[in-house]
Amino acid sequence: MQTPPEDRKWTSASGIPLKSFYLPDDVPEGHRRVLGAAPGEPPFHRGAYATGYRTKPWRIFQLSGFGKPEDENERIKFLLEQGETGFLMEHDRNTADHLYNVDHPEVLARREDVGLTGAVMQSVRDIDICLRDLPIDSTYGHAGGAVVQHAPYALAGYWTVARRRGYDLSRLPGTGQSDYFLTYLGCVTKQQVPTDAGLRLNADIIEFCDQYLPRWVPVSIAGYNGADSGLNAPQELGALFANAVEYLEEIKRRGTMPLAKAARGCGGVSFRMSMDVFEEASKLRAARLMWTQLLAERYDITDPKVSNLRIHCVTAGSRMQYQQPFNNIVRGTLMGLAAALGGVQSLGVSGYDEALSIPSEHAHQMSVRIQQILQEETNIASVTDPLGGSYYIETLTAQLIERAWAFFDEIQAQGGFLACLDSGWLHQQAAENQHQEFMAQADGSQRIIGVTDHTDDVSPFEVDGFMGVDDAFDVALERLEAVRRERHEKGAADAMRALEQACRGDANIMGPMMDALEAEVTLGEIGDIYRQVWGDWSTPIQT
Amino acid sequence: MSEPTTNATTGATTSATGKRVLMAKTGLDGHWRGPTIVATALRDAGFEVIMIGMARAEEVVQAAIDEDVDLVGLNVGGHVDVAVRAVEQIQSSCDGVPIFAGGVVPPHAKRKLEALGVEVYPPGSQLPEIVEAARRLTGII
Repeated sequence: MQTPPEDRKWTSASGIPLKSFYLPDDVPEGHRRVLGAAPGEPPFHRGAYATGYRTKPWRIFQLSGFGKPEDENERIKFLLEQGETGFLMEHDRNTADHLYNVDHPEVLARREDVGLTGAVMQSVRDIDICLRDLPIDSTYGHAGGAVVQHAPYALAGYWTVARRRGYDLSRLPGTGQSDYFLTYLGCVTKQQVPTDAGLRLNADIIEFCDQYLPRWVPVSIAGYNGADSGLNAPQELGALFANAVEYLEEIKRRGTMPLAKAARGCGGVSFRMSMDVFEEASKLRAARLMWTQLLAERYDITDPKVSNLRIHCVTAGSRMQYQQPFNNIVRGTLMGLAAALGGVQSLGVSGYDEALSIPSEHAHQMSVRIQQILQEETNIASVTDPLGGSYYIETLTAQLIERAWAFFDEIQAQGGFLACLDSGWLHQQAAENQHQEFMAQADGSQRIIGVTDHTDDVSPFEVDGFMGVDDAFDVALERLEAVRRERHEKGAADAMRALEQACRGDANIMGPMMDALEAEVTLGEIGDIYRQVWGDWSTPIQT
Repeated sequence: MSEPTTNATTGATTSATGKRVLMAKTGLDGHWRGPTIVATALRDAGFEVIMIGMARAEEVVQAAIDEDVDLVGLNVGGHVDVAVRAVEQIQSSCDGVPIFAGGVVPPHAKRKLEALGVEVYPPGSQLPEIVEAARRLTGII
């Protein structure tokens, strides 16, 4: 059931009407004046750096983790051996996202799930095992802490391990994430702190990094999580910058650090790369231009070292299909290509088994290989912004910017990004898009190869879900008991009291958080402090 | 129970089926859109849908009893044995209430659930077939 070409509505994935070809006059007037800017020059739509991948190949950066901390450590080492050029830790989502220890009733009821989505890390001991023999002083590491309420713990754990190993924190490279989109929009947890408490935590991280970890990217707004939850390309852009404004306004209100440094701290972000290759590549160009505009117009920040947005991309997990999973290797390649064409500093390609489980070792290897083939065999690394100057791409870039600012304005008109999470308005936008997509698949206007069409599969291989290891829960429980038994109890109690006091007052919580990790305070105990101090976010949607 | 309702998407008018479906998530994983989209489609098709989100096995059973449902939909997001526990408790406490499931269900998990009599709709399943299954499992067709 395919619509004849004359009846089909030709649009980009986000719904921008497309012509069958573009001419110079199609490029909007206002956008023509930036066409002559070179990559590495404001407004940066053509790239953050003039020499592009010649001097800075994008970092091959794969999310990884499962089982016990030593299992995750082994997988990270495997990926580095395969050619990964940074590493991303993943903490077990059940425990980490909720700040529960494994003996929490909600976790006990689902003990088989423990370790399926990341290693269980309930104290600094576990984080130390996960980082064993990894060159964290020289390799760009992602400490985990994707989720806002989990980030201070994850970061403090990583930094504590680094400090114990004698590394100078002021030289430590790496990043966390602390992303609202993930659990306030995409996968809403059963329990988490209210959004305003989360803002306080993120601003504390930004301040703390400014003071002690200047090479660390303190927060990384993950448009990816918004987009893979249903936001389309201009919505992803608009919402991401609305989120950045929340951080900058909070830092401005505090007046504790130069705003330009905070802006630099917020200028490492992630986007989703989906299957509309040219819209997605254009989105990255649009993002860089918008950041330059936002900082100049709203905050009078024009330092090019601040206004060149650095971008991490992850290929859309939701585009990886359950049926005929090897087709996903092609999808990963195309989405990775879109990122490369749009200009990225780092990239993760989702596993071909994404719809079935976390990546198997082989799926992970393929994600690295896809990126290596793109970098080494296709010659796309030679020229920066290869799409620049295309009438189509420049038009699409300008149209995305226009629509994204309109969405940004809509968010601001409703009180800002956090207010739109609290009210459920962003969830409605996301759900509406996803519903339309399902309807489009049902009525035949959206075709997915191997799923809605061409479903015959002759592959002799069954791709089954990778289920990690069987002993993650048992070992985590033993280790939790060992920590409780062996730590200096008064030291831990004092650290918890100090952390609680910091949470109740205005002081930056990251110092006390570091002390708490050093004193082997556990994940769940920190969660209990948060819950007592801040209570729960009132979820605006029925899940 | 046959009051007509209007389909939010197509504008078509559907008669209420009088059948009640409980939707629950067995994992602590908060991906909410899959079950929400299925719930919307079922409501559009005239079902009354009760969503309880993330729930432990005993909470699912209690809700199924309290709400006197005709069908239980489980969103599986993790190890299959967590879902199996819910299935076994539903089957022993709610005699004859059929169960269907969706979510992240790799082949081995699908086989395990199917062996217990659960119909499984993995990612990529289309809404019309899910609605059709709900109609069949509740005896409408």
